[in-house]
Amino acid sequence: MKHILSQVFHSGKFVVGFCIFMSILLLMIFYPIFNPGNPLQIVSIGTFAEPGIYVSVYDAVDSDMNTLKLDEAPAKRLDSVLKSEDRVKMVMWFDAAGIPVDNLSIHDTEALLTLWEENYDATIRPEGMTKADRNYFQRLDGNLKKVIVTHDKVLARQDPSSSELSVIRTIEDTDYVNIKKVANVKRLPLGTDNFGRDVLKELAAAIKTSIFIGLVAGSIATLIGLTFGLLSGFIGGLVDDFIMFITNIFTVIPAFVLLILISYSIGQDQRGPTTVAVVIGLTVWTWTARAVRSQVISLRNRDHVNLSKLSGHNLFLIIFTDILPYIASYVIMALILQISGAILAEAQLSLLGLGPKTTEVPTLGLMMNWSMLYTAHLNGYWWAYFPVILTIALISFSLNLMNTGLDQVFNPTLRD
Amino acid sequence: MKRKVVLVLCLLMTFSMVFANGKGDKGAKPEEQQVAAADDASSGTLPRNQTLYWAGLQWGSINGWNVLSDDMNNFNVSRQAYGTRITMFETLYMYNFLDGSLEPLLADGAPQWNANKTEVTVKIKKAAKWSDGTPVTAEDVAYSYNTGVKIGNTSGNSNKPYIAAVEAKDAQTVVIKAALNSAGAAKNPLMLDNFIAVEYVAQKAWIQKLEARTGGDATKMKTDPAEDVVYSGPYGPYFADDQKVVLVRNDNYWGKDASMWGKLPAPKYVAHTIYSDNAAGEVAFKSGEVDVSQQFNSNVQDLWEKDGLPISTYMAEAPYGICGSLPTAYYNLAIPGLDNVNVRKAIAMAVDYDAIIANAMTNQSPTFDQVPRSTMNPTPGEQALYDQKAVANLQWVGNDIAGANALLDKAGIKDTNGDGIRELNGKKLSFKASCPNGWTDWMAAIEIVAAAGEKIGIEITSVFPEWSVYQTVITQANQTEYEIFMMWSDGSSPTMPWNRVRQLMSSEYVGVEGNWSGNWGQYSNPRVDEIISAIPATTDAAKLRSLYTEANKIYLTDVPSFTLMYRPNCFHAVNESVWTNYPEDGDGQNIPPGDLIHGYSIAGLYTIKTVK
Repeated sequence: MKHILSQVFHSGKFVVGFCIFMSILLLMIFYPIFNPGNPLQIVSIGTFAEPGIYVSVYDAVDSDMNTLKLDEAPAKRLDSVLKSEDRVKMVMWFDAAGIPVDNLSIHDTEALLTLWEENYDATIRPEGMTKADRNYFQRLDGNLKKVIVTHDKVLARQDPSSSELSVIRTIEDTDYVNIKKVANVKRLPLGTDNFGRDVLKELAAAIKTSIFIGLVAGSIATLIGLTFGLLSGFIGGLVDDFIMFITNIFTVIPAFVLLILISYSIGQDQRGPTTVAVVIGLTVWTWTARAVRSQVISLRNRDHVNLSKLSGHNLFLIIFTDILPYIASYVIMALILQISGAILAEAQLSLLGLGPKTTEVPTLGLMMNWSMLYTAHLNGYWWAYFPVILTIALISFSLNLMNTGLDQVFNPTLRD
Repeated sequence: MKRKVVLVLCLLMTFSMVFANGKGDKGAKPEEQQVAAADDASSGTLPRNQTLYWAGLQWGSINGWNVLSDDMNNFNVSRQAYGTRITMFETLYMYNFLDGSLEPLLADGAPQWNANKTEVTVKIKKAAKWSDGTPVTAEDVAYSYNTGVKIGNTSGNSNKPYIAAVEAKDAQTVVIKAALNSAGAAKNPLMLDNFIAVEYVAQKAWIQKLEARTGGDATKMKTDPAEDVVYSGPYGPYFADDQKVVLVRNDNYWGKDASMWGKLPAPKYVAHTIYSDNAAGEVAFKSGEVDVSQQFNSNVQDLWEKDGLPISTYMAEAPYGICGSLPTAYYNLAIPGLDNVNVRKAIAMAVDYDAIIANAMTNQSPTFDQVPRSTMNPTPGEQALYDQKAVANLQWVGNDIAGANALLDKAGIKDTNGDGIRELNGKKLSFKASCPNGWTDWMAAIEIVAAAGEKIGIEITSVFPEWSVYQTVITQANQTEYEIFMMWSDGSSPTMPWNRVRQLMSSEYVGVEGNWSGNWGQYSNPRVDEIISAIPATTDAAKLRSLYTEANKIYLTDVPSFTLMYRPNCFHAVNESVWTNYPEDGDGQNIPPGDLIHGYSIAGLYTIKTVK
């Protein structure tokens, strides 16, 4: 056993696949520990909050403030709302409104802003300017007013009974808060999804469900395939014909079509992750059965098997002691491929809206389904679907890589 | 010998080909000319700066242009309560859902009611003409209505109970007489307002032609594709296939007369490309291939704020449009547990409506803080019709977990066996919440309702059946399959808000099979029925207000259903790549954001200009 393991871990492909798979497993196990709670909890109101660190403004204004005199701060503040294309557009507005702009350089921020402040009027509707453009200038004007006015901002509390305002503090443009001192800071490394759920937390939970589905479906498929393959290969004759007849029927019907039909007829309220896993397992066992059968046929006339038969061992004993150990490595590899295939099948099903029902558990496919329904792919909310696709690809890739690695170890003809 | 046979055969074939060609060259037939025009349209050679493109109004290819039919699947033949589409066929009046007013179209001046509100007289504009040049007459109005009743189309069937007769007094005067109740008053005068605003007028001569062609067979008349139809609107058929539908302006359109618009609409062509799904339509809208989109764009503000596209909505800020309808979750009152008003109210109180509005509607709806819940839509006209102060203590804002828990505790509905779920009469409170699969905004709303249940110890699981299944179950009289389920309530229309009160609570729908009209939860309350029958005949403003206030009091106390969000009558976003000067909030024109096709919003077609 030790020897086999060391051989296996000498295979580069296996090690790479194993490392990728383990890191995904670690994410699945440890992220919920550091970030506990219901993965389906809606944390943000609204759809698709961008990835980043969210600082509670409510707490920040109450935290101790330090005064930092940073020369670049005003310029940075202005740059955040006034980009070079905004400057070009401002000149276009002056043109449209008939305001002379001779000698004005768009890089001369002060002159540009002064002219803007003096002349911009939201009620003017220059001839030929679209509403979209007028809206744009209104937004720009609003943003500029926020940053170029140098007055301090005043924080006040409202008395609920008299609705009078009492000043709590003034905030100057040089006030800074250490992020560590703020009571509530929420890290959303992958933002939120269409419901406002933490995507990374959901992803960790979804990996768990998907791997569960993969394991259950893979085990079922392998078990059925193995049983049929062993029986049909070892017994042969009429039993073989019968089992192969059934297997062939299942082979000619595309498994995925069968999967869709069964999932559809079960109905959404009955579809939990386990049901979906069983359905997948029941539809994809055929190639394992065929492969095991051919392996068994080549084994059954070996000398040790014949010896066993002569010794009067019964069928099951022979299968378990004389056949199974010889194809065990192959079965393990088949299992790995079945797991990978089942995870993909769940993703495909869910993407079509035929996966597990939505509210109870997240799965990788459901996450993709919802981000597609909310057209995340059209609107640039990459964090809602890309990490999911990447995870599916990596799980499938690592499992296949491990499989190839194992193949090289157990199948001498494939060794370099 | 064999060779000779082959030679002869070859010669024969060659000759036949030559002759066949010769025949075709003798001048193009009308059909071929049409094909040529069609090629122009389908290969995208419509002049872009003379064409207005829509999206979100037409799915699949059209079945024809028959104004008497209900299933033309043609975006130009569609009666909508908040504004009938009047590109090709016209109505007597145009409904304006901004203020509920009726603007005359074929009619001349305001409708004249008689003293006891049993009949209304409408004058027809002298200038109004059909596309064949003949004048539109009162006779056409009467004949259209009578034909509708005779062949039993939706228009005829829905008006028949309320309208006794539509009569032509002279060529220019039509009188619509209401059906009377036992007391001699009009059954429902609101339905007459609805009639003159919503129903199309078809040409009598054309209908007679159709009758002659079909032998007066109702089914044949309703399915005839009507390629030869005569219309009074500014646009007529130009081209249609499974890719797009194009209409061309009738430059002799009567509306250029000073008594109507005084000019022709700006686009020479109006067109609708047929997209396979919302996503395809959205891509086309973003790229400027579509001018006016009726599709729901989630986070519509991203289109201009992030993507910098020349796209705008009626209002520059949230909720971006005028909301008219109230998507509502109904309680099935036949389900044990949901027959308890405390359970109903607790669930409704616990739901986080801000999350629904932010998630499902991406803030394209006012919140219940801004417009407190009632049977009214958020337009100022309807809001003014009830006394908000009188019901203020009944209007819950939502996300009130403590309040909902306290309500249930007080009512003695507690978790007795410690499984975290409350029991009522020994039965665990567990419900299924449903809406059709794929209706993403509704699905998100149902998910949030389910999440609220968990917080107050009521198990709510979401189920999303396919629409085909959903609609058959929901319209059954005594279904017990769906327990909490979503349906719409109608948007703005001349019969609102009376019709919405009726839709939400009238017992006339209890036990009705194939019920598409309302009260799907089977609520019944005799006092509400009295109010519903009293409102249409009430003309005194104060009396009307007190009736609406009472109806709202009952609605908010009994909670037979609860509104989850406000929703626009139709979505309306415009891309100003080609056309500009669309109607906007505060421009003083009072043109509603109805995609420039619904009711009075068609006035927008006369104000738009090409971008310079």
